[in-house]
Amino acid sequence: MIELKNIYKSFGDNHVLKGISAYFEKGKTNLIIGESGSGKTVLLKSIIGLHDIDQGEIFYGDQEFSKMPVKGKKEIRKELGMLFQGGALFDSSTVEENVRFPLDMFTNKSVEEKLDRVNFCLTKVKLENVNHLYPAEISGGMQKRVAIARAISLNPKYLFCDEPNSGLDPRTAIVIDQLIRELTLEFDMTTVINTHDMNSVIEIGDKILYIYKGEKWWEGNKDEILKTNNKELNDFVFASDLMRKFRN
Amino acid sequence: MKRVFSKPEKAGIFFRLFIREVDMLGVNSLGIVIIISVFMGAVITLQTAYNIESPLIPDYLIGLTARDSMILEFSSTIVGLILAGKVGSNVASEIGTMRISEQIDALEIMGVNSANYLILPKIAAAVFINPFLNIISIFVGLIGGYLAIRLSGAIAPEQFIYGLHYVFIPFYITYSLVKTVFFAFIITSVPAYHGYYASGGALEVGRSSTRAVVYSSILILLTNVIITQLMLA
Repeated sequence: MIELKNIYKSFGDNHVLKGISAYFEKGKTNLIIGESGSGKTVLLKSIIGLHDIDQGEIFYGDQEFSKMPVKGKKEIRKELGMLFQGGALFDSSTVEENVRFPLDMFTNKSVEEKLDRVNFCLTKVKLENVNHLYPAEISGGMQKRVAIARAISLNPKYLFCDEPNSGLDPRTAIVIDQLIRELTLEFDMTTVINTHDMNSVIEIGDKILYIYKGEKWWEGNKDEILKTNNKELNDFVFASDLMRKFRN
Repeated sequence: MKRVFSKPEKAGIFFRLFIREVDMLGVNSLGIVIIISVFMGAVITLQTAYNIESPLIPDYLIGLTARDSMILEFSSTIVGLILAGKVGSNVASEIGTMRISEQIDALEIMGVNSANYLILPKIAAAVFINPFLNIISIFVGLIGGYLAIRLSGAIAPEQFIYGLHYVFIPFYITYSLVKTVFFAFIITSVPAYHGYYASGGALEVGRSSTRAVVYSSILILLTNVIITQLMLA
């Protein structure tokens, strides 16, 4: 599990996060939702340590992450998997090399063992016969799946996804969502997803945190979000005509 | 800086990256170094020949002048400036693109020291391979000078060859190699810095690449003056 206690983060005079506390559970898909500019990406990057927070505490299990020395953070990071919005695959490496990268860096497995693990991860994300292709030679959805395979290659305890569905068609987006959920359950990971895609919310929102203007505005699950009376959240959730019809 | 020069995560991976960078930054620059050096050598020789047409000055001094010009300045500084453009823009745009496409963030999240992983092999490779490029440049430049003499008939080729051997000072080679090592460090480290701290989009990567080339060129010229003063004065 991951616990956030009273997180504050500013960039100059711009106060982006204002005292956010939350608890992300193990074996569940925890969603951070909010409008563009609400601070959800800053929150995610703060949780994984890409931004130093101004105030507050971040716990991975019982370990306080935010005040750890670099060496300690490095050890925690080996237990993290991250799916970036654009995939962030290494352009000059093949699919196989991308997925093998964490294994090369942090394990002493033999070449065969690494290849077995790479193929296992690629099979988990339902990709086959793409080992020797470069990221530019595969579709956006496949790139996301390769990025997931790379993220799970070291068997992480924590999986973070930043806008996993951005740029994908609705059907592929659902495939990615379901894949993340299956992997979360299978590997019993604490998964935190940053999204503003309402399909994802309805599909896999075990726990949902709504961020509004840098503050935690609402917390609940996919059933509760459809029945809430929170005005700002309703404006966000039912912004589209489709969602309004769905509610009615 | 401290992060760049820390101990690599795995020696095997560092060595693999080092070899790749030797190929990318060094071997791939061989063509342009040879072309530039041949023409530089030819032009220096012809200009010297046409400017010192005096019966009081022996012809072999043209060979000596071409040799010393190539060793002391052209093969180190001019080739350094050319490589600052070619290699510098390549390094800055490669690392800058990795920054804006979140590949560097991905490395950090995995617990990899991204500065060390991306930058150190480039610096090490350039510092290793550029002295070889310098020696090749000197050699090829003098061949260019010889060809110019043969084709133009400005002086007897034997006189040119004699001049190349006349009063050779080995320390000039040391001086040239020392300069090349410093320039190699500048050519890779300055663009790597600009690429690493690029932000925004493709336009910003282009800007950081341009900045990298401009700053490295100025630093090369400044370093040239300082090393010359320290080693030759």
